[in-house]
Amino acid sequence: MNQEIRAVQVEMERHGYIAEPAIATAVFLAREMRRPLLVEGEAGVGKTEIAKVLARMLDTELVRLQCYEGLDTHTALYEWNYQRQLLRLKIAERDHGERDPHKLEDLIFGREYLLERPLLRAITRREGPAVLLIDEVDRADEGFEAFLLEVLSDFQITIPELGTITAEHVPFVLLTSNRSREISDALRRRCLYLYIEHPDFEKELAILRAKVPGVSDQLASAVTRFVQRLRARELRKLPGVAETIDWAQALIRLHRDSLDAETVSATIGCLLKDAHDLRATDEQAIVELVASESG
Amino acid sequence: MTEQLARFAGALRTAGVRVGLGDEVDGAAALTLVDLLDRAEVHRALRIAFKVPHEAWELYDRLFREYWDGIRPPRHEALERALREQPGRPEWRWDGERVRLALPDGNDDDAPEGDTPGYNSEPMLRRKPFERCSAAEIERLERLLERLAPRLAAHRTRRLAPTRGRGSVDLRRSFRHALRTEGDLVRLARRARRIEAPRLVVLYDTSGSMDGYTRILLAFAFALRRTISKVEIFAFNTALVRVTRLVSPSEVERTLERLPASVPDWSGGTRIGACLAEFNAHYLDRTVNRHTTVMIFSDGLDHGDGAVLGTAMRALRERAARILWLNPLLGDPRYRPETEGMRAAMPYVDHFGPAHNLEALETLLGVVR
Repeated sequence: MNQEIRAVQVEMERHGYIAEPAIATAVFLAREMRRPLLVEGEAGVGKTEIAKVLARMLDTELVRLQCYEGLDTHTALYEWNYQRQLLRLKIAERDHGERDPHKLEDLIFGREYLLERPLLRAITRREGPAVLLIDEVDRADEGFEAFLLEVLSDFQITIPELGTITAEHVPFVLLTSNRSREISDALRRRCLYLYIEHPDFEKELAILRAKVPGVSDQLASAVTRFVQRLRARELRKLPGVAETIDWAQALIRLHRDSLDAETVSATIGCLLKDAHDLRATDEQAIVELVASESG
Repeated sequence: MTEQLARFAGALRTAGVRVGLGDEVDGAAALTLVDLLDRAEVHRALRIAFKVPHEAWELYDRLFREYWDGIRPPRHEALERALREQPGRPEWRWDGERVRLALPDGNDDDAPEGDTPGYNSEPMLRRKPFERCSAAEIERLERLLERLAPRLAAHRTRRLAPTRGRGSVDLRRSFRHALRTEGDLVRLARRARRIEAPRLVVLYDTSGSMDGYTRILLAFAFALRRTISKVEIFAFNTALVRVTRLVSPSEVERTLERLPASVPDWSGGTRIGACLAEFNAHYLDRTVNRHTTVMIFSDGLDHGDGAVLGTAMRALRERAARILWLNPLLGDPRYRPETEGMRAAMPYVDHFGPAHNLEALETLLGVVR
């Protein structure tokens, strides 16, 4: 393995993120090739966490843009501070009797009246490149995606009243998607692409040890084995690593050090969050899962 | 190295994974950054740089072995043999007026004369079975679809757009207007939710009993895709295949010729229930939401378990805006949906209609609004 990729892996681990080689390679390539990284995978596999860890690793600011249906440029990019602008106009009119529209415009369309939203914030950060996390980009609509593509290509933003603002430093961009819909091809091509699968036993165990201080070896392996087996079942929403961690913490609070059917039934809500899945995983199924656990 | 990279990318393209020139450039750049002696690392890096979607990983692995390790996979002999051995089965055929069962040795299941429903007084084209349509007639079909498509699933988005009518106040635009009146907000600009293009999922039965319609109904799906950007197309018979990415609307003819090779068991039997269950497991979350119209083209001749189909249909119905089941056999007035599969599916179908000619598809307009 390339030493630099190995270094990325070690560094991520030091900041609490267990990265398999595929993740370390993707982060390394995105950094070297200066390209955004599109991360896909099921909920709870640790997509967003990558951005947080990167910000800590690079000792920089994490700028987060949470996408949702209906997200527009006013919330993503910038907005004028209308209240301040109106006040300024009134003052100008009262004190100086200013009525020339051009002069009035010059007065109020300045940087101090501009409210920076995440995208603008990420490219105007002076202290060094920020980590820009565009979370759940699949939730925004296609129109926004096209706009995003433009920003991510040039790292400059044009504000009609102000002119063009070019990035001080090109941020490290991470996009995540839960695949509630297909991301447009153009945006996908602009990025490098990483798909994170559910972790295997070894990786999940390592994550659990790192994330849940005080978990005993016995409980950690029992929990991991159970979750791995649960994922092999036909479920609508497979539990992610986040759920595994929650569950282990719950078990520790309950002072359990091993699994039995009763304890699992009482706490299964930590893992399964879909009514259909809960029904499908009844007492008997749990007894079987736990039995194969000890056997 | 570059040459090998280009050949590998070409192989992926031929197999249906979209790898563009830009991705090849990315691949080449990535290769300069990684340890070329580490096979696993090259494998990972190219997958990242080529942006290979998760569904295509298996294919990617296979082609990677073939192109980078020089291991040729066995020919698809089983598939070819299966296709050769096909002609043992009876087939459903549209003979211009109705569906009939054609036996392989040519002994048609002859229907009594005079039983032909009276189709003569109306214009020919609307009732002309698709199989006999000319190119010009197909064009007419597409014009119809352009009218049909937006009505299938139009809904208002949450995204706001400027409007002259009612809506919430748009401060940004109001303020720009106000500049002309020295800062007084004389006229308020407004914005409101706009109407968005529909979403469609088309599930296609390509089994032998559908042979007479598969091509034209697929052309229908292409036409939908030209009008609506959000169309997902799946083919199924004994297995489910996502064809959205395999087909290209601009090359209908070529795609139609290529498609049977990419879909296992094209013209084989059907296990509708199992295929829908597979759809639900892998694609439901991603492709269907409460604005989505699901269209199923199938004759409902299921070789699988009816209960499985019922369960799958219920899950699908919970998610989608509506389910349309279009059945070419309905073109025959004597046909009744009494197969086990059809009976299991019916409770969850919002509209059950024929699909054997233009008129049949036109009636969808009235139904869907």
